[in-house]
Amino acid sequence: MNLEESKSLVRACITEITDGEIEPTDEMNLIGKEASLDSMKLVELCLALEDQAGELGFEFDWTSEAAMSRSRSLFRTVASLAEEFENQSKKAE
Amino acid sequence: MIIVTGASRGLGRAVAESLVEAGREVLGISRKTEGLPCEALACDVSDYGALKTIAQNLRKEKIEVEGLVNAAGIASMNLAVTTPPSMTQKLIQTNLVGTIQCCQLFAPLMIRRKSGSIVNFSTIAVALGLKGESIYAASKAGVEGFSRAFAREMADFDIRVNCLAPGPIKTDLLKGVSDEQINAIVSNQIVPKVFQPEDVCSLCSFLLGPQSVSLSGQVLHVGGV
Repeated sequence: MNLEESKSLVRACITEITDGEIEPTDEMNLIGKEASLDSMKLVELCLALEDQAGELGFEFDWTSEAAMSRSRSLFRTVASLAEEFENQSKKAE
Repeated sequence: MIIVTGASRGLGRAVAESLVEAGREVLGISRKTEGLPCEALACDVSDYGALKTIAQNLRKEKIEVEGLVNAAGIASMNLAVTTPPSMTQKLIQTNLVGTIQCCQLFAPLMIRRKSGSIVNFSTIAVALGLKGESIYAASKAGVEGFSRAFAREMADFDIRVNCLAPGPIKTDLLKGVSDEQINAIVSNQIVPKVFQPEDVCSLCSFLLGPQSVSLSGQVLHVGGV
């Protein structure tokens, strides 16, 4: 999985869990004052990505210490989350 | 399925047995699994990696987890100033961190089905401020604080989180405690008697079941304070 595919997958998951109410962009904030998702939807997004990872044959760990230490949070934006998803998929290959 | 930690002895075992008797599917998690009354996995609740593997396997096997009872814990009756640092670490790691980790890792299985009930074991020593139990009480006060806040985090998913806070209950774990010590604690309860494991089990079943649908973020003190 490359980064563009990963971004596309994260955006699709957001669209699905919000029933299409949000049209996500790569720059969309997932946490903080400008966050577009509430905490409940953020958890649902994690679970949706966990399911997607399972179908792709790897475990997506959103609590990974390594992911959190690379930057402040993998949840900063759609792009940062997609980047982490891609990193973990590559490690599993 | 209901997950019960600390299912090999004491109140955890009694809860696991009562749930099995009531026809519930139970997964017991404890360090020793010999002779458990239910399906069991060996795991120390302070081992995050091992708990995570269990949670991942339950998800992969699409096991429906309806409830979690965090009964794993250790007690140490010592004055704070005579407690070795290793025991302080062990009490916090098992009682508080273990409970937090089980909630973190098993709650997502309930979030997926948007329903569930979590019962975390505290102790009456928190409310009574019992002499000789300061560090043990601190670890369990942490459990109560965590549970109240976690209850709010889980409310959107229709998952309830409550605490049970027993005093002295007639289990094997009371064997090393003198009658004098037990009576001193019990005399502080509103109902001043030593309760049986079945009394705690019935409260646990109540908190796990639909009769307690309006309760979350609460601490039920066995015997009352």
